[in-house]
Amino acid sequence: MMLLPDRKEESVLLDRLDASNLQAVSRGCALLAAGGGGDPELTLLMALRAVEEHGPVPVVRFEDLDDDALVMPCGLIGAPTIATERLWSGDEGRTLVAAVEQLRGVPVAALMAFEIGGANGLLPVTWAARLGLPLVDADGMGRAFPHLQQQAMHLAGMPSSPVVLTDGRGNGLVLHALDDVWSEQIVSRAAASLGGVCAGAVYCMTAGQGPTAAIGGSLSHAFALGSGAGEPATVILGEGRLATLERRLDGGVAYGAATVLGSGADYARELRLELQDEFLLAIEDGEVRAAVPDIISVLALETGIPLSTERLQYGERVTVVGLPVPPGWTTEAGLRVAGPAAFGYDVPYTPLVGAA
Amino acid sequence: VTALRIGIDVGATTAGAAAVDRHGRLLAKARTPATTDLGADVTVLVRALIAYAAVEPARVTRVMLSTPHARDALTRRRGLRRVATIRIGAPLTHAIPPLATWPADLREAVSVGTAVVRGGAEYDGRSVMALDTDAIARFLEPLADQAESVAVTSVFAPVAADHELQAADVARRVLGWGVHVSMSHDLGTIGLLERENATVLNATLAGVAGRVGDAVEGVLTAHGIDADLFLAQNDGTLVAIDRALDFGVLVVGSGPATSMRGAAHLSGVTDAVVVDAGGTSTGVGAVVHASPREGTGPVHIAGVRVGFPMVEVLRLALGGGSLIDLAATPLVVGPRSVASAFGRDALVFGGATPTLADAAVATGRAQYGSGALVTSRRDELAPALDVLDEALAGAIGWATDTTVPGPLLAVGGASDLIPDSLPGVYEVIRPRNGEIAGAIGAAMAPVSAQAERICSNRPDVVLAALDDARAVARARAIHAGADPDTVEIVQLDEIPLTNLVDPAIRIRVKAAGPPG
Repeated sequence: MMLLPDRKEESVLLDRLDASNLQAVSRGCALLAAGGGGDPELTLLMALRAVEEHGPVPVVRFEDLDDDALVMPCGLIGAPTIATERLWSGDEGRTLVAAVEQLRGVPVAALMAFEIGGANGLLPVTWAARLGLPLVDADGMGRAFPHLQQQAMHLAGMPSSPVVLTDGRGNGLVLHALDDVWSEQIVSRAAASLGGVCAGAVYCMTAGQGPTAAIGGSLSHAFALGSGAGEPATVILGEGRLATLERRLDGGVAYGAATVLGSGADYARELRLELQDEFLLAIEDGEVRAAVPDIISVLALETGIPLSTERLQYGERVTVVGLPVPPGWTTEAGLRVAGPAAFGYDVPYTPLVGAA
Repeated sequence: VTALRIGIDVGATTAGAAAVDRHGRLLAKARTPATTDLGADVTVLVRALIAYAAVEPARVTRVMLSTPHARDALTRRRGLRRVATIRIGAPLTHAIPPLATWPADLREAVSVGTAVVRGGAEYDGRSVMALDTDAIARFLEPLADQAESVAVTSVFAPVAADHELQAADVARRVLGWGVHVSMSHDLGTIGLLERENATVLNATLAGVAGRVGDAVEGVLTAHGIDADLFLAQNDGTLVAIDRALDFGVLVVGSGPATSMRGAAHLSGVTDAVVVDAGGTSTGVGAVVHASPREGTGPVHIAGVRVGFPMVEVLRLALGGGSLIDLAATPLVVGPRSVASAFGRDALVFGGATPTLADAAVATGRAQYGSGALVTSRRDELAPALDVLDEALAGAIGWATDTTVPGPLLAVGGASDLIPDSLPGVYEVIRPRNGEIAGAIGAAMAPVSAQAERICSNRPDVVLAALDDARAVARARAIHAGADPDTVEIVQLDEIPLTNLVDPAIRIRVKAAGPPG
C-alpha cells in the first residue's frame, strides 16, 4: 500500500487547445467531475466549433504572463442541466470581460476555468477563442464542487468579489459580497432569477497571485487523464452492478445513495456510494475507502464513460475509481470547506489509499 | 367469431408474419426473404397466412407492422423531405447553430435553411421573451418553393409549448395549411440539441410512414382485409398509422424491441436475456417485466444524436451466414455474410463457402441442409463456434442486470447456433416459433405514449403536475390508438434538477394499453 503521489508534474504540458486535443481534455474533465459539474459534451461541441471558427486557443502558465496581468476565472453558475436546454449565446465571455475591465480599469489578459470538472472545464474555451485571449493552465477546484467558496483561491484568502454575472441576454449584475459564503448564497439566488443558470466571473486575480492561489496544470492534467498519456494516479475502488439507488430532495440538494454489488474479481463485495451533486463517499464494510475532497468517479464498465449522478441507472455495470485531489484540499483548512463534514457527513476524511 | 390480428416484422434479410387470436395464440405463420419492395413482401406473407382456414380475412381487425423503412430512408438519403428548421431561443443558443453537429451530407440532403429567432421559455415555464413571429415569416417566405416540412424547436418547449404552436401557425400561414410541421414538444425531453435533431429527423421522415401505410393498406384491401394498421415504435410499443404519419422518427428502430417482446410472449418468461440470431447479425438485449429494456447512453440515428431512449441492444456481426476465413490464423468469422445466398453458397447446401451455420452442423449443434457434406471438416470448422460463443458470453455479461445467472431466450432464424450452456446463464430457452418472434412481438405489443413536466418541488405543485402528466400521457396513448378503457400508467420517473435554490423536479410518465 502506498499513498498516492501528488499530481504536480504532468508529463505533457498543453500549449494550445484545438481539434486535436479537446476531445481528450473533455474526457478528463468528465472524470474529474466526480459525477457532478454537468455533461461536458455540450461545451466540447461549442469549443470544437469555436476553435474551428476562430483558431486554436493558446494555453499559458501564470509565469508566462506579466505579474500584474489580469486573469479572469469564469464558467457556468447554476444548474448545468438547464444549460443543456437554453444553450449559450457564445458571447457571455465578452460581456464578463467588459464588466471586469470596467471594474478593474485594466484589460483582462487571460481567462481561466474556475472549475475543471464537468461542463465548466471547457466552457471558457469558447469564450477565449471568440475573444482571442489565452487560457491559463489552472483552475480553482481541481475537480467539480457545488459551491463558490469551494475554491483554492478562497483557501488562499482571496475574495470572490466582485462577482460578475450575465444571463447571455443582456441581464447582468455585479456583486460586492461581505465574504465568499455570502457570495455563494446571493449568487445562487441570482442564478435562479437569471433563468436557473448563468455565466459568471469570480476571484479575478493577477498572474503574480496565481501560482499560490490557483491550482496549476489543470488542463494538462485533464488531457493526461483523457488521453491515457502519462500515468494518472487512479485507484480502482470496485467493479460491479448498481444494485440499489435512492434519492431524496432536501433544500435544493439531491441526496442519494447507491450500492455497487461486486462482479468478476470483486464478487460478493459491496461498495456503498453517498452522493449529492457529486459522488462524495465510497464505503465498504463500514470503512471509508474514499471521501470528498478526493474524487470518486463512476464509469460505465463497457465504455469507460464517466457517469453523472443524475444519469445513474439501476442495473448499470460500472467501475468505481478514486483520484486524489491537489494537496491543498486535504489540509485542515481545505477539509473545513470541502471535506465530508462540509457536505453534512459525520465521518472523518480518510486519505485515498491504493495498491501499488 | 373472434377477432384476429396479424403481426408483420420486416428485417434486414427476412420478413416474417404471424396471425394470432385475441389471446395471443398463434394460428398461422409465414416467412419470406426481404426485398426492397415492401408491398411485394407483405403480399407474399398475407397470402401465405390467409391460405390457412383459421385465418379468414374478414376476421382480421388489426395489422401491426415493424419495418426498417424509415431508417433505410435516412441511411440511404432517399425519400426524405426538405426541411426548414426554426429554433426559438435567441439571443441564447447561438453558440451551436441548428444542424451544426450533423453529418454534412445528411444536412445537405435534408435542410433548406435554418433560423434562430427570439422567444422561448424559462425552466419554470415563464415566458420572458416574446416570440418573433415576423422573423419566422421572413425566414420562410423565400423558402416557399423548397420547404416540404418545417421543424420547430423552442427553448423549454417540454415545459411550455405555446411558442412552438404559434410558430407552427405562422409556418402554415406562409407555406400553406397542408404543410407538415414537426414540433419538439411532441418528440423529446430537456436537452435542446438532441430534441431539435429528433424534430428535424421527424420532419424529413414525414412522407415515409405514409408510403409504408399506403403500400400495406393496398395489399390488405386487395386481400379482403379491412383492419386498423399500427406501426411498431422504437420501444416496441405501437402507434396507429394516422398518428405515425406525423411521427416517423418514433418508428425508425422497432426491430430489436419487437423481437424481444415476442420472445417474452412466446416463452412466458418476463425477465431474461434475449438473443435474436439472424443470417447476418445477432442482437443481444434484455426484457424486464416482458418489456425490452431501454438504455441510458447517448443514442444516434443516422449519425445524429437524439434525446429519446432506445431499446438497448448489442449487435454482433455474427449470424448463420457469416463467412469463415479459414486461411487466417486464428480463423476469422464475419462480418461479411452470404446473406440471402445462404441456401446456395453454404457448404451444407453443396456450396463452396464455409459459414457459421456449417460449423454448427459439423459439430452437431444445428441441423441444416446435408450434414454429411461437413462432418469430415469438423475439426477445421469447430473453432468458428468458439468465436461465436466468446462473443455471446461477453454480450450476455453486458445485457445481464443481476449477478445471479438467469434464463436466456434464443430466438430468430439462426437460434440453433446458440449453445445450450453459456456463462452467466441458468437455462437456454428456445421458444417454439422463435423464428417469427418479431412478428409475434408486433402483434402482441401495447399502444403507448409519454408526457413530461418540470415543476417546483413543492408537494402540492408536484401532485398537480403528476396529475397533469398522467392525463396527457393517457390522452396521447388513446390518440395513438390505445383502448380508452384499459390504458394505464406503466412508468413514472421523477428526476431532481440540481443546483437550484428553489429545487425543481422533472416528471416523466408513460401510458400504455392494448389497441382499442
